[in-house]
Amino acid sequence: MTTLSLHGVGVSKGVAIGKVHLIERNQQETREYQIEEHLLQQEIARFKIAISLARQQLRSVRLHIPHGTPGNIASFIETHLLMLEDSALVEEPVNIIRERQCNAEWAVKIQRDILVSVFDQMDDAYLRTRKDDVDHVVNRIQRILLDHGLEAHEVPDTHLEGCIILAEDLSPADTVMMQHHGIAAFVIEHGGPTSHTAILARSLGIPSIVGVKRALRYVDEGDMLIVDADAGVVLVNPDPVILEHYKQRQLDIIRYQTELIHLKEAAAITLDGIEIELQANIELEKDYSIVKKVCAKGVGLYRTEYLYMNRVAPPSEEEHYQTYIKTMEMLDNIPLTLRTMDLGSDKNSGTGYESTSISTSVNPALGLRAIRLCLKEPTLFEPQLRAVLRASAKGPLRMMLPMLSTLQEVRDIFSIIKGIKQEFSEKGIPFNTDLKIGGMIEVPAAAVCADMFAQYLDFLSIGTNDLIQYSMAIDRVNDEVNYLYDPLNPAILRLIHMTINAGRQHNIPVAMCGEMAGEPKYVRLLLGLGLREFSVHPASLLEIKRIINDSKVVDLEAKALQILNAKDSSFANEMLDSLNIL
Amino acid sequence: MVKKKIEVINKLGLHARAAAKLVKLASSFTSEIQISCEDENFDKKIVNAKSIMGVMMLAASKGTIVTLQAEGSDMQVAAEQIEALFNNYFEEGE
Repeated sequence: MTTLSLHGVGVSKGVAIGKVHLIERNQQETREYQIEEHLLQQEIARFKIAISLARQQLRSVRLHIPHGTPGNIASFIETHLLMLEDSALVEEPVNIIRERQCNAEWAVKIQRDILVSVFDQMDDAYLRTRKDDVDHVVNRIQRILLDHGLEAHEVPDTHLEGCIILAEDLSPADTVMMQHHGIAAFVIEHGGPTSHTAILARSLGIPSIVGVKRALRYVDEGDMLIVDADAGVVLVNPDPVILEHYKQRQLDIIRYQTELIHLKEAAAITLDGIEIELQANIELEKDYSIVKKVCAKGVGLYRTEYLYMNRVAPPSEEEHYQTYIKTMEMLDNIPLTLRTMDLGSDKNSGTGYESTSISTSVNPALGLRAIRLCLKEPTLFEPQLRAVLRASAKGPLRMMLPMLSTLQEVRDIFSIIKGIKQEFSEKGIPFNTDLKIGGMIEVPAAAVCADMFAQYLDFLSIGTNDLIQYSMAIDRVNDEVNYLYDPLNPAILRLIHMTINAGRQHNIPVAMCGEMAGEPKYVRLLLGLGLREFSVHPASLLEIKRIINDSKVVDLEAKALQILNAKDSSFANEMLDSLNIL
Repeated sequence: MVKKKIEVINKLGLHARAAAKLVKLASSFTSEIQISCEDENFDKKIVNAKSIMGVMMLAASKGTIVTLQAEGSDMQVAAEQIEALFNNYFEEGE
């Protein structure tokens, strides 16, 4: 027996094995037929009843939205209800029925084509795909007109438990109802990473593949499927050998996850006994629970931009202070490295309040941001500095300055801090006189002069995302050039290596808190280059720990230096692979 | 009549969900409310802010400047609240 394989894009990882349940919409061919003049009123009434039934159906779906459904899925239902009240869908078809003297289905189809053609011409890819919303609503009306009534799966039903759902497309209403059923996986013919299915699948943690073109043609109800969302492959009626392989893989995944959880109490230490500082990056309160779950020993990057976002005035000193105290308490007073605000770049140019300096620069990443903005606008920055100093009396807190490019910036901030410390001493306000202050190395100029920064600062932390972007002169969101975003480029590795060595030379710790540190495939390379502190997203912390605890640094150093000097990227990648299978 | 120019600052633009919030808010006022913007050919598109299809078809992506026009007894408060919704990223946080 041969196994058929179908390919798509995995949007939510994992492996699932199960029987398939097909959802076929049978896009009924609508035909036009003439309605005699005296029957037009009746046809219009039929259309209006269909609209009101469609509304009733959606309202009933809305009632069944389970607790914990992602808010954006629920709000799509709301949008569709509004569409069913819009004159474009409610009144226009009536006019068409009258003018063309045609049936309701045909009138709806004409109006649908008009609406969709407008969406098709839109420039913005995301807005363009929202014609799906028109289709979902129109299909619902058509089904009612054709008397197909309610979709079977819109009624909560248990026989779908453990099933793999295969459909041309899922509407938001489908995805809401599907949550009740214990679905094992989704395979969808249409759609991309931003489709409703993708959003829902990720939030439920169900393996899913979208864009599996014409899958319905090759699969029958009840077929056995393997969904390998890691590889984006669907296997239809696999032969026993393949099935056995995937069953084994599912077991391995489960075993791996339990193994990781056991690692949470373990120290991060290499096979040759080198202790590694492994910490977590946090931003919002929702990250705190994961930090606790994985028992992180400290926070290597606490982002504070969120305090400044979506508000009319910048936060006061007291607000900063209370937030930091609360964060320290909630995290059981583990060491916390607080990064002062890094605003002004593309990612967060939109604070709600008026700031004379946050302008819409053509290239915000190279503009007035982070420490530059802080020094230019002390009213934004000083309340934060004062609050950090006060909070330092309450727990193990360190301060980290983002985006340094010159030593003068360090001197300027030190002199502001000196002034605040003096004032606090006079007023008897408590603070940690030995507050450690470090800097982010993310501007190439700072990496090249890391040895100088190391003489003034208490620690350094490498931010790889910006370091790569600035070193390669690329805008990461520009598709035309983001192929140059390569952490393995020798220029990047050298800057990292220089920074690590500068720390060693001046006896201060060097950490990495950029995305590269949390990427499993780079862990051994970084160990080999001498990195001893990693700060990663808490969700990947245990996986990184597993790699650290499975590595022997002496075996990595020579190969890491070879990668550092690799003249072409395919060689560097080969070397990296060989490093990772040691 | 009240007239305001507002920039679309949320990441996804006036997509379905944001449009729904706008339409719901606009529909809560008695004033006539229109939203317009220019497309790439500098043709002006004007839509009724109380129509979901109209607002979605405006296709206003991030960075677009739209013009809000309100006319009626509650036009002042309508314009202010709608402007606040835009500036609050349609409560989507980005």
